[in-house]
Amino acid sequence: MRRIVTFLSIALLVAAGTSKLARAETSPANAIKYRQAIMKAINGHFSAFFLINTGAVDQGPYLAAHVDALAALGAEIPALFPAGSGTGKTEALAKIWEEPARFAQAATAGKDATAKLQAAVKSGDKAEISAAAKSLGEACKGCHDRYRKEETKGR
Amino acid sequence: MIPGGSTRAVAGWLAATLVFLATGSPGDTELARGQYLTAAAGCVTCHTDTADGAPRFAGGRALVTPFGTFYTPNITPDRPTGIGTWTAPQFVQAVRSGVGPDGRHYYPAFPYPSYAGMTEEDALAIRNYLYSTPAVNRPNRSHELAWYVRTRLAAWGWQKLFFTPAVFVASPGQSVDWNRGAYLVRHLGHCGECHSPRNQFGAVRTDRELAGNPAGPDGKEIPSIRSDGDADVADWTTEELETFLDGGMLPDGDFVGAGMGEIISEETGRLTPADRRAIATYLKALPPMRQPMR
Repeated sequence: MRRIVTFLSIALLVAAGTSKLARAETSPANAIKYRQAIMKAINGHFSAFFLINTGAVDQGPYLAAHVDALAALGAEIPALFPAGSGTGKTEALAKIWEEPARFAQAATAGKDATAKLQAAVKSGDKAEISAAAKSLGEACKGCHDRYRKEETKGR
Repeated sequence: MIPGGSTRAVAGWLAATLVFLATGSPGDTELARGQYLTAAAGCVTCHTDTADGAPRFAGGRALVTPFGTFYTPNITPDRPTGIGTWTAPQFVQAVRSGVGPDGRHYYPAFPYPSYAGMTEEDALAIRNYLYSTPAVNRPNRSHELAWYVRTRLAAWGWQKLFFTPAVFVASPGQSVDWNRGAYLVRHLGHCGECHSPRNQFGAVRTDRELAGNPAGPDGKEIPSIRSDGDADVADWTTEELETFLDGGMLPDGDFVGAGMGEIISEETGRLTPADRRAIATYLKALPPMRQPMR
């Protein structure tokens, strides 16, 4: 019995130790890089979605794939902002960590809007797809408005 | 009366008056038109406080400028604190000539130099719509300005130097879309109030209109919206511009925030696709120019 307890205690300690170690391995700089990579990926899928949806390119069969990618990547958003990743080469504003409940709510709004867009794409209704895309855009824009420092692009 | 388009303005006035006499209030179509024009004129973004749940049109937003901080006034139909006592001609005068009912001259933080081009019937439709919104009792907050502009005499002098009211006149050589775009961009939408550089007296530099503003609201750099063959709007297609004005997506798939995100939600995103196309048509046709940033 005692042996088992000792064994379990050691196992627990080791597990706690490694998980702590694993978390310590992500530096703020890497967290920022990863966050920006995911955001860029989201941009790419959004841009592709609009090019298809407005008829600029004839890639209709891939519309759903881009929206599914938006859903998968968007689900990561809350985890992209670990504590300490607000300083350095980032446009993320301190407000994100100052009002976590509101930030989480904004992320959920984005997630819900993406789910609605997925449903609209499944229905195939063009007007519904465009309306849902606009709502999702509102969610993106709303979050950027409050939580991202705006840099003038192109200079 | 205003030179050019005065017959139309009088006709519009008469029609509005007749509707008013017949029903005691502006008709639904007239109100819908007023609501649309109020969105196109972007009144709500400046005239609503940034605090959560602040009443729309009741003022209180701080506009930080090199001359001090302006607090936007209440434009709801409340009589003691809003514009509920203003007559129709007083409203038109305030919006297009920058002179209040009490005869005081407005600071150009209020974009009347742009609104001056608005037709009288559009200004009246906006007034009718504002008068249909809930009256909110919210006293105006005094501006906090540098000593040398604190007197309204400064605003009077400024108007003498930099302001000549002139209503929009369509260019016959240009397309209907281009002309509609010019009216929306230069007057109703007052894009140049942020996107144009200003001189040391705070007047928009008409020779560099829409070429970008290194010292925009709240000290932000505002990009050029004239094609300059290098970046930004330059390589955007008309469709990309329309998509941007509709939902805020930049061609690379990013979404704007900051001030423009709000303008898209409240103003350009509420326009008809035809009006967005007109704006894009006008902007794409502008000769290239870019104001250097800091």
